[in-house]
Amino acid sequence: MSATTPSNYRTAATAGIASPRLQKSLHGLQNRFGKGAMEIWATMTDQEMRRRVKDARMNTFAHLDIILAELAKNVRTRGGQVHFAATAQDAIAYTLAVAKRHKVNRVVKGKSMTSMEINIDPVLEDAGIEVVETDLGEYIIQLAGDKPSHIIAPCIHLDRNQIGELFEEKLGIDYTNDPPTLTMAARRALREKMLTAEMGLTGCNLACAETGHISLVSNEGNIRMTTTMPPVLVALMGMERVVATLDEHREALQLLTQAAALQKLSTYVSFLGGPAAEDDPDGPKEFHLVIIDNGRSKILADPEFREVLACIRCGACLNICPVYGKIGGHAYNSPYCGPIGGVVTPLLDGINKHADLCKGETLCGACKDICPVENDLPRMLAALRHKLAYGSDLWNTSQHSPAEAYVYSFWKIVIGNPRFFRLMLRTGRFLQRPFVRKNKMVRKMLGFAGGWTKGRDLPPLARQTFAELWKEKYAATRPNPIEGQNEEGN
Amino acid sequence: MDSQTAFMRNIRQSLGLAPDTERPKRLFPALFAKADTALILQDIENRTTEQQNELVEILQANALALGVNISIAGSHDEAAAIVVDLVRTKNPEFTHTKHIVHHDHPDLATLQLWKRFSREGITVHTSFSADQQLREKTIASFIGITAADIGVADSATFIQLTQPGRPRSTSLVPSIHIAFLKKEHLVADLREAYALLREKERLDSFVFITGPSKTADIEAQMVHGAHGPREVHLIVLSPPPIEKDVRETQNLQHTEEQQPNS
Repeated sequence: MSATTPSNYRTAATAGIASPRLQKSLHGLQNRFGKGAMEIWATMTDQEMRRRVKDARMNTFAHLDIILAELAKNVRTRGGQVHFAATAQDAIAYTLAVAKRHKVNRVVKGKSMTSMEINIDPVLEDAGIEVVETDLGEYIIQLAGDKPSHIIAPCIHLDRNQIGELFEEKLGIDYTNDPPTLTMAARRALREKMLTAEMGLTGCNLACAETGHISLVSNEGNIRMTTTMPPVLVALMGMERVVATLDEHREALQLLTQAAALQKLSTYVSFLGGPAAEDDPDGPKEFHLVIIDNGRSKILADPEFREVLACIRCGACLNICPVYGKIGGHAYNSPYCGPIGGVVTPLLDGINKHADLCKGETLCGACKDICPVENDLPRMLAALRHKLAYGSDLWNTSQHSPAEAYVYSFWKIVIGNPRFFRLMLRTGRFLQRPFVRKNKMVRKMLGFAGGWTKGRDLPPLARQTFAELWKEKYAATRPNPIEGQNEEGN
Repeated sequence: MDSQTAFMRNIRQSLGLAPDTERPKRLFPALFAKADTALILQDIENRTTEQQNELVEILQANALALGVNISIAGSHDEAAAIVVDLVRTKNPEFTHTKHIVHHDHPDLATLQLWKRFSREGITVHTSFSADQQLREKTIASFIGITAADIGVADSATFIQLTQPGRPRSTSLVPSIHIAFLKKEHLVADLREAYALLREKERLDSFVFITGPSKTADIEAQMVHGAHGPREVHLIVLSPPPIEKDVRETQNLQHTEEQQPNS
């Protein structure tokens, strides 16, 4: 993911927490969609469905070569062109070549996470091609020169006043902060673009190998426009975004739309499997499917992380995560944010580079509970931390913080030795004295421990430990003490 | 094909398999095993009028919840009257003239729409495959009329298959979409709909449509009419039962009176 810049986790998280506007939006989002998805899972009659879809996804990965070959074969039978791209650069080069061959001046995009992952827009723009996002949220983000902060609701961090000012400046309309009026302004502006673009560029939610289709969901209709009106269509697809059969497609689709937006189905689900047939009056004349690896085969190869490929990109884990719910999406510094981003971003783009992501999550397990395919994200976040703690040759990961490692080896000795432990406590109680403030809290620590108290207070070590208190108050009255055992206590 | 060879090789390597040994699909029959849909298809086939009417009721409730204007027409004439009324009362969004476009479909041809506006300034287009100006005509139209291939009661969805004379843009580009659905094309849920789709001989492009185009990207406020039609009207064609069925329907009404909750 070349779209990323060096970590700004702390600064972006701090900014997110400090923004009342963002806090309000995130609260509303989680309150509605997070709770709503949990409610659907709790009440759905077919309680086996999520497990079934997950099993089917994992089975697909174990046979991915066969299934992708079948998909490609069926798309080609209809006259579609399939390109397999090992890297982001490969996918970009292929797409650019298609655009150049057709002398494309304008590309309209259906919302595609994969296109952001490979960061194709700047390359197209450098080639003199106008690139227009058509999903309203993404369009707003593009006009603002901003970055999306949610997988499904990209401009959740902007409010109606900001969008009103943006449209006044960029679209030349009179200022209004009325969402319907703003939406209509974008509708008019984008309709023009979509009807005149020479090329459409989309992602792919779920491809079906058996029938040779890609399918795309949208509520706005922009994806239908993008895949219908321009004469050339390029669909970018992560290689894991495939199911074997129509039956599997149905179940995965139903989980996707319910988890993403609590809908039985989104407004539109488009199925495309090639260029328009000769007797079709509309639809693209050329259809290109680009199947992208870009680091996925490495995830496939590692049993510890293969599960994460089962993700259907619904964004539900963002809608429940207590960390995302406070810091917002920008801190993740990647098109994939929230708990899923915390796992998949480091795996695709470097574990060391994105070390803050897995460390920032709390491992509370909410993302696992809400995940439609029951991905064990907390387990994988912990596994990433393990790689950061000890380094990993497989993932080309170096030990993230040698100092931390020393502290923990020392700690291991301390807690293995009760006498040493108590000595430490006594020393600690003595040393902390000057730092305990009037509110009986440690406000500030020294050295690199200072980071911990930057945004919060630390309760001081108690005057007596629980064990000491117990001994003092109850040891004498302990009923039927078993002699010789546990004399030490602790 | 070169890119594919290297790509597949890499996948097999990641799976711990011999990278250069291709795995043919015939050795893995379970992967693409067809689910047995015979029973589902039988259920659809043997559905009684009474059960069909129940599905229409379910569809009605779900459509209303999604903001779809749904009406039940007893005959083609009744359906045509609904369309005529919409064409007369609604106003174009992007143009000043009233053009409408409808699919080249026998059920829509029966409506004889071109006759009904002969004295008004309303132009009726049909999306014939051979029409080279169809794109412009569709863009100029403020109402698009299609006949759905399958309706799904559970989610208030209708499914349009792209076919000659039935392009994708008719249900997409005009501001208002009117969809026709014959009662016998209505099924209970997506499971049934997928079973029917599998039976189709030619399955090119198709689309599930569930309600009007919408967005909630600005402060999560729902707005209809993002890029697709801002209004969807669903006309269910449900002709009055023929002689034999009359009794069935009466029975149904009778049962309903006794058990209002069923």
